[in-house]
Amino acid sequence: MLSIKNLHVNVDGKPILKGLNLEIGTGEVHAIMGPNGSGKSTLAYVLSGRDGYEVTDGQIIYEGEDLLELETEERAHKGVFLAMQYPVELPGVNNMIFLKESLNAIRRARGEDELDSVKFMQLIKEKAKMVKLDEKLLKRSVNAGFSGGEKKRNEILQMAMLEPKLALLDETDSGLDIDALRIVAEGVNALRSPERSVVLVTHYQRLLDYIQPDHVHVLAHGKIVRSGGKELAHELEEKGYSWIEEGAAA
Amino acid sequence: MSAANEQSRQWFEDLVKSGQVALPSDKLDWLDAARQQAHQAINTLPVPYRKQEEWRYTSIDGLLRQDFQPVNEQFTALHAVDLEDWLLPDMDSYRLVFANGRCVPEMSDIEELPEGVRIGSLRAALTTDPDLLATWFGQTANHQQHMFTALNTALINDGVFVHVAPGVKVDKPIEVLYLSLALEDAVIAHPRNLVVMENGSQATLIERFVSTGDSVYFNNVLNEIILNESASLTHHRVQDESPQAYHLSSLFLSQQKQSEYRGTALALGGAWARTDYKARFQDEEAVCTLNGLYLAGEKQLTDFHLDIDHAKPHCASEENFRGILYGKGRAVFDGKILVAKDAQKSDAHLHNANLMLTRSAEVDTKPQLEIYADDVKCSHGTTVGQLDPEQVYYMRSRGIETPMAKKMLCLGFADEIIDTIEIEPLRQHVHERLHFTLDQVVTEQLQTDEVAQ
Repeated sequence: MLSIKNLHVNVDGKPILKGLNLEIGTGEVHAIMGPNGSGKSTLAYVLSGRDGYEVTDGQIIYEGEDLLELETEERAHKGVFLAMQYPVELPGVNNMIFLKESLNAIRRARGEDELDSVKFMQLIKEKAKMVKLDEKLLKRSVNAGFSGGEKKRNEILQMAMLEPKLALLDETDSGLDIDALRIVAEGVNALRSPERSVVLVTHYQRLLDYIQPDHVHVLAHGKIVRSGGKELAHELEEKGYSWIEEGAAA
Repeated sequence: MSAANEQSRQWFEDLVKSGQVALPSDKLDWLDAARQQAHQAINTLPVPYRKQEEWRYTSIDGLLRQDFQPVNEQFTALHAVDLEDWLLPDMDSYRLVFANGRCVPEMSDIEELPEGVRIGSLRAALTTDPDLLATWFGQTANHQQHMFTALNTALINDGVFVHVAPGVKVDKPIEVLYLSLALEDAVIAHPRNLVVMENGSQATLIERFVSTGDSVYFNNVLNEIILNESASLTHHRVQDESPQAYHLSSLFLSQQKQSEYRGTALALGGAWARTDYKARFQDEEAVCTLNGLYLAGEKQLTDFHLDIDHAKPHCASEENFRGILYGKGRAVFDGKILVAKDAQKSDAHLHNANLMLTRSAEVDTKPQLEIYADDVKCSHGTTVGQLDPEQVYYMRSRGIETPMAKKMLCLGFADEIIDTIEIEPLRQHVHERLHFTLDQVVTEQLQTDEVAQ
């Protein structure tokens, strides 16, 4: 699904990722953990195509294509989705109209028919129920005035609607209480399938109590310094990141 | 007075000479007097030019270069017009249609008016309601104070007359459609409108300015609006004209005790379009709300001047104007709220926000509060900004292409104003017009960006 080789990325001229390697197989769930400032969010943004991230070396192959050659919206059309740590507010843009435009833009790009209003309404109601998002929020402007938890659930709603092939979740668990965390996890678990891959970027282990990863990677100083099974997450929880970082430095 | 200025005055003088018409009731002394005074004022009033504060950012040079002709062959061009093309679908209204400033009764629909409601042309009212006209005409608009007001008054030809009797609620919106027919000559029209709302009456008035072609013309509109005690008027204006049109609207609003005016002003098209609101609270507890939206692109200037006079205590006014500018479009916003010394407990808020889609667009915005009372709640603010790249990125990351993302953000910005229009067919129409314009804007911009890269 995704193959990252020797990725070097600068932000404002400063190297953040320094030779990152990562292989994500189809149908797998990976967790990327690491201390603050290790480059986790940079990795997520580079994959989604945000401006301001300069790739100085390395490559990213997604489904056999050079991902870096694709525009942000083309990546979305081809199934890349990033649930953001800080979802952006769009004052004046109605949440429902936004989602309909998004879904239909992706369907058009794939040569599929657009969903009509009736089918769209059925779908969004079903998915909103799944992520327990108040239907009133569908009628409001995207994320504008939403609480932190509502924003995160709105991201999961978008993900559930767009059914990406590669779902990236950047610190989706941060700032969530345990109930919200469970809802988010259910949303992700519902999406798990042999055709989809999920990458969870997280600082804490607790999300992984609800979403069982196949692989856990530790990112420190711009590189993956250790990979393992889900037991690695527990080890990190006990020993802290300094244990890994010291190992990496040595 | 400079020579250039005197030349400019000659332009006004020539218009008066060529344009004065006989009216159905020339025996009305007050009307003759007003026309004469206005004509005299044209000889003495200062000609608007850039050194006057009110005209600092808006030049009338383009206007002065035009050789405007009065419309003589009134309706010959009307035969080619299919009125249906210009009506709003599903709009149920009392309708007046004007063609180049003259009312067209056969296109209007003002039969079966409710008891106590007069809606018609000013010309007709000169014969049917001369006493009402004599009472209210020229009471709020001083035709000896402003050049274009004087010009309008000197050249009175036709206009809208609305009178709603005490306590009467008009059951349907009153809709005025000003059609500017594309003629060979650059023509000039002077709609002169008088709206009188008696005590406790209620109405909704819609004015739409459209053109059937891309011709050059000048609409010099004047509205006198009188809201007597506890009267309420909702007033939507949509100015959406030829890319070569000149448009000047002067609105004079007089509000008595506990009256309420809710206005929406949309400037969506024209070469040079200026609207002046002069509102005055004559008594306490009156409310004035004004929402505005303007779009200006290549070779366009749009200008709003607001002059809100809190002359009495316990009144509230709120003005919220938004602009979207692109290409080399220019906008002027000059909003002034004056709170008089004794106008305690005034509540006045003025806000102007501008969205600049290109670097070469320009806005001159000047919100002003002049407060002489000490117990008031007042605020004003202005913003000038671009589309937020973070927002565009977020939308693109959801598969929405850049032009569509930009368009949706612009519509979102405009919706705060448009959503205040409670009449569904009108709101729908304005949305469609905005979609149409913004589609062109974002497509052109994308092409420019590609060339730049």
